[in-house]
Amino acid sequence: MGFWDTITDLVEAATPWSVAEAEAPAHETTEETTAETTQEDTKTKAEAAAAEEEPAAEEAAEEEDEEEEEEEEEEEELQDPKDVFEEECRNSKECAPAKHHFDECVERVTAAQSEEGGAKEDCVEEFFHLAHCATACAAPKLWSVLK
Amino acid sequence: MLARSCVRPMRAFASARNGAVQITKRAASSSSGSTAESPLRLNIAAAAATAVAAGSVGWYYHLYGNSHAMTPAEEGLHPTKYPWVHNQWFKTFDHQALRRGFQVYREVCASCHSLSRVPYRSLVGTILTVDEAKALAEENEYDTEPNDQGEIEKRPGKLSDYLPSPYPNDEAARFANNGALPPDLSLMVKARHGGCDYIFNLLTGYPDEPPAGAQVGAGLNFNPYFPGTGIAMARVLYDGLVEYEDETPATTSQMAKDVTEFLNWAAEPEMDDRKRMGMKVLAITSVLFAMSVWVKRYKWAWLKSRKIVYDPPKEGKTNIRR
Repeated sequence: MGFWDTITDLVEAATPWSVAEAEAPAHETTEETTAETTQEDTKTKAEAAAAEEEPAAEEAAEEEDEEEEEEEEEEEELQDPKDVFEEECRNSKECAPAKHHFDECVERVTAAQSEEGGAKEDCVEEFFHLAHCATACAAPKLWSVLK
Repeated sequence: MLARSCVRPMRAFASARNGAVQITKRAASSSSGSTAESPLRLNIAAAAATAVAAGSVGWYYHLYGNSHAMTPAEEGLHPTKYPWVHNQWFKTFDHQALRRGFQVYREVCASCHSLSRVPYRSLVGTILTVDEAKALAEENEYDTEPNDQGEIEKRPGKLSDYLPSPYPNDEAARFANNGALPPDLSLMVKARHGGCDYIFNLLTGYPDEPPAGAQVGAGLNFNPYFPGTGIAMARVLYDGLVEYEDETPATTSQMAKDVTEFLNWAAEPEMDDRKRMGMKVLAITSVLFAMSVWVKRYKWAWLKSRKIVYDPPKEGKTNIRR
């Protein structure tokens, strides 16, 4: 969008007889979809060609397979940055006391649960301290990553 | 404080001793020996009250000693503060995020939670275009006005209609959710302590498993940020649940952030305008203040720049009163 377009837009918006509309991004999406479909068409055609002439088109088919695999991997590898950062923070020096207490409590309570008496306490408070420490430490890092 | 509290019993003790002395004097005159028990009799009310207080506390612990009140679990974990951009003074909502958040609401939250105070028209220009909003409104049916026979027919939705609720009423919502009512989300950011932080933490805070020994009721899920930690809503946001149209990776935290910002918009749709109005007010009042300072200087100039001169009487003239 050039400089002149801005001016014409402003003029159009200012003139009372023109109709102001919210911009519709429909064009791009249709183009994209058509592009995708055409790509798919070409792919299917290429695959068909590969089926017909296997030795000739083998390399191309392999490349396509690789691409597909990469896409699938990307989808699988989608990992929440929050979990990553909080795990880092949990194991960091900053949260070492909280983690120490929590681990100790878990050990104690699970040991007590396995006995007949059952545990008379829970680790909710220790968990809170650890979670508070980890989330507070991860918050700025997380916001720098998220959109 | 300490000194005063130390002095007080001393004084009480002194007065008690004085009383004792007087009593002994009087006892000596009337010759009946009751000298030893008098300090006890003076303090008997305080002593009895102390005994009752200690006894009642003991009795309470005997009866309810094993209970845990005011535990952190009861309060819930306080939400962690996140640096929300739209909460800054001179920042607006990120409308691309609002669009993503609305997509998350529509595909995930809307199956249980209503957003009954948001009409389609308010989405126009902030989240959707006119055509998109119209198309979305027409997907749902609404009651018409009664026709000539008094029958109420259905018509496709218009921009002036409100977003449809998943359940016709609260009872139906409770019945469908094991007795738990999914609250309306229109004003949820304003309705909870912590606002955006609380909602984001609640959505992303479900641990893989509750900590050891934690009691989780039947049909409830452990969430540290929910007061009481037992929440009927299960974790709903998982990585890749939604496919964003702008190809943002749909991680759990990304979706939670977007939908939280969207809910903040739903609760405060006027925020962008409000901040701009605040800016206008600040600008105009600062100009007016500056003008008032100059005007004041101008108006007071004659008073500030005047000179008071004492003219002493000249000697030799005697008609001046001394």
